[in-house]
Amino acid sequence: MSDLMAEITKAMGFRHYALVHHVDLKPAARSVHIIDYPPDWVDRFQARRLYASDPIHRASHRTNVGFAWSAVQSIISLTAADRSILAEAYEAGLGDGFTVPAHIPGELNGSCSFAMAAGEMLDHRQLPLVQLVGSFAFEAARKISRIHEPEVQCPSLTERQAECVALVARGKTDWEIGQILGIGQETVIQHVKDARDRYGVTRRTLLAIRALFDGQISFADVFGR
Amino acid sequence: MHIETGFSQAMEHHLFRAMFEERKRVFVDLLRWNVPVVAGRYEVDQFDDDRAIYIVITGDDGDHRASARLLPTTHDHILGTIFPNLCKEAPPRGAAILEITRFCLARKLRARERLEVRNQLVTALVEYALGNHIRSYTGVAEWPWFQQILSFGWHCLPLGLPATDQGRCLVALQIDIDGSTREQLRASGVFRPVGVADLASAA
Repeated sequence: MSDLMAEITKAMGFRHYALVHHVDLKPAARSVHIIDYPPDWVDRFQARRLYASDPIHRASHRTNVGFAWSAVQSIISLTAADRSILAEAYEAGLGDGFTVPAHIPGELNGSCSFAMAAGEMLDHRQLPLVQLVGSFAFEAARKISRIHEPEVQCPSLTERQAECVALVARGKTDWEIGQILGIGQETVIQHVKDARDRYGVTRRTLLAIRALFDGQISFADVFGR
Repeated sequence: MHIETGFSQAMEHHLFRAMFEERKRVFVDLLRWNVPVVAGRYEVDQFDDDRAIYIVITGDDGDHRASARLLPTTHDHILGTIFPNLCKEAPPRGAAILEITRFCLARKLRARERLEVRNQLVTALVEYALGNHIRSYTGVAEWPWFQQILSFGWHCLPLGLPATDQGRCLVALQIDIDGSTREQLRASGVFRPVGVADLASAA
């Protein structure tokens, strides 16, 4: 896969690429991570755990379509820290590039990026092609990781548990949830405890976030529609 | 799955009228598409004619949960009529090629039901193709939906570069269906067993 990525990166006239899932909740499970960036930058990136705060990653969570790095401030507002991250990447040899987000329901957010070397011009007309190539690259990586990793079963909640967790996410107390669903408070406590056990988490907040992340409940369930 | 051919036949059944109502809720009310609404409640356009084929997935209680419209590419269809510019070459046409349009999931579904019902409808489309000598589907998709379509694991290729139309990034695509498609859907976890149901029993 990295050979193919290197080939198409070169064919499109880019110097560097990265094909990655953005967070790693379950490290062994089906997570994609294929990178050819300047080694200096990769080391700094890992050492400072930038994957959560990288402005390019953050921007890619706010859009579904590909974008040029030089246009990132049209998607998110950049802080001084963001600007210094971008400046550091440039110093490490990474020029302008495109990032294509990969957002699939029930899957970790990821992205595919292609970049020039520092000082080289980016051809903005390439964006539609890059977007297609990036998406197909991600799908290919997905297929390969399916072959190498056995399917990981996400915890599944019962209908009642999911209802309770959605109300937990709305900030309701066990008593309030009981009143809303017309069941006893003790029953609610049990449902929420069972749901926490299924995810192996001890906090209500983390339970709600994990259930949202897995798609067991949706933002629409939490915010109404 | 329930299958009906022809707009006027479909309108005679409660289930398919519910489909046109849901299409209004999804494509007009939610997605703000500029498409006609009939009688204030049904989303119906010029392609809902006697050649259109409708596939509906129902819940245990027989209600509409998801649906899609298939248009013959030998006559007017969306890619051929409205978006031929999305194709690098001429839009594919032929008796063995149908266009998938109005892929619709009921708004009332929760997140995980949506995925389940989406998978049922995708499998239903594959079963329909295999049972009716359809070798390819074509379609136009907005970018986020195209990424999902790719992730189903079937053989899907773009017909041209993505293009922006009125603020939406659109891409034309072709999906080839053959004896290995079920296996491809199984590998990606999308395959669901679906059978053809008799409408009379659902009424």
